[in-house]
Amino acid sequence: MHISEGVLSAPVLITGAALAAVGISVGLKKMDYEKIPQVAVLSSAFFVASLIHVPIGPSSVHLILNGINGLLLGWMCFPSILVALALQAILFQFGGITVLGINTMNMALPGVICYYLFSRLVNRERGLISLAAAFSCGLLSVFFSGILVALSLLFTEQSFMSVAKLIVVAHLPIMIIEGIITLFCVAFLHRVKPELLGGIYGKTT
Amino acid sequence: MEKRHNSTIMYLLILFFVSILIIFTSLPVLAHKVIIFAWVEGDTVFTESKFSDGKKAINSQVLVFDKEGTQLLEGKTNNKGEFSFKIPKLTALRILLNAGMGHKAEWKIPESEIKEAGSISEIKRAGESSQPINVGLSKEEIKELIEESLDRKLRPIIRMMTESQSKGPSINEIIGGIGYIFGLMGVAIYFKNRGKRRREVKNEN
Repeated sequence: MHISEGVLSAPVLITGAALAAVGISVGLKKMDYEKIPQVAVLSSAFFVASLIHVPIGPSSVHLILNGINGLLLGWMCFPSILVALALQAILFQFGGITVLGINTMNMALPGVICYYLFSRLVNRERGLISLAAAFSCGLLSVFFSGILVALSLLFTEQSFMSVAKLIVVAHLPIMIIEGIITLFCVAFLHRVKPELLGGIYGKTT
Repeated sequence: MEKRHNSTIMYLLILFFVSILIIFTSLPVLAHKVIIFAWVEGDTVFTESKFSDGKKAINSQVLVFDKEGTQLLEGKTNNKGEFSFKIPKLTALRILLNAGMGHKAEWKIPESEIKEAGSISEIKRAGESSQPINVGLSKEEIKELIEESLDRKLRPIIRMMTESQSKGPSINEIIGGIGYIFGLMGVAIYFKNRGKRRREVKNEN
């Protein structure tokens, strides 16, 4: 879902970069000492995830992992994803430097949205509800990313609905896989390290 | 207590990260980028488009521009990702691939290559109009024959070049990228720590 260089017009690029800058500054403010290693680990996970291709469906799609990034980091997923995307642009020529802002925006904002939508459910509830919330978090973050990519292509590709449909259909398998990955991560963390998820588990210890 | 808490977090994160690395190394290393490659054979330009995981870019739009930027022709790739056209104009060509969803790539053919091809096709035409009953081979005809067989012999090499063009990122780059992320983590921790120390010193005074 990386947008290549030279596809978007300058106003779109600048808007994307400005919005991403806001998110990054909020994320950096919230990032305290103990969170830094966690941000780095999730950043590397995101960095590597783009190399895992899923050979199902009509187009070339890969894992994104922005759901688990958002769920565990909240606003801090902005700096995390920025670093990963910058390195992907430099080392793999995925995306590019000029589109870094808008790509960060497209990947990180859904993470933050899902953080606000689901982190309470994931943290406070036990059992099925928590796991269902984790699954939807992984699924919806990819879905929102698709919508945002379609939105940013709005000025170059004309028809929003057809592009959005194309992207969402191409990413359906990824959505389900990301949902399952997020579910397993959350189940694992609940059992082994609930402090990472915050919520009641974190506060009682 | 605090220290123990931190080290367990680190342990867990490393575990999570290593498991991801294991998943990814068991899969073929693939990338997410689109590539177009074009070469001249006789008076025809052949193009091949693919995603860098080797999947062909099917039914994608190909635009051909001259060096002034005016569009000469456009077409769609077939189900092998190929698209070919006769040289429309003796000028440097810029071939643009638009694979949708923000994926774009381009390939330039320098003027010299086109000119060469153009002169051959002109010779061919001139040869056809002249009387075919000619026992000895003229200089032009020999040249033409050599060019033809060279094109044919070079085809596999050109193919090999397209293959190498589309190689995904190497393991060095991947490990390097992860190294960068952890280096950045160190820098971030250093600066956070310095701020904290300064505050502590101030408090003591």
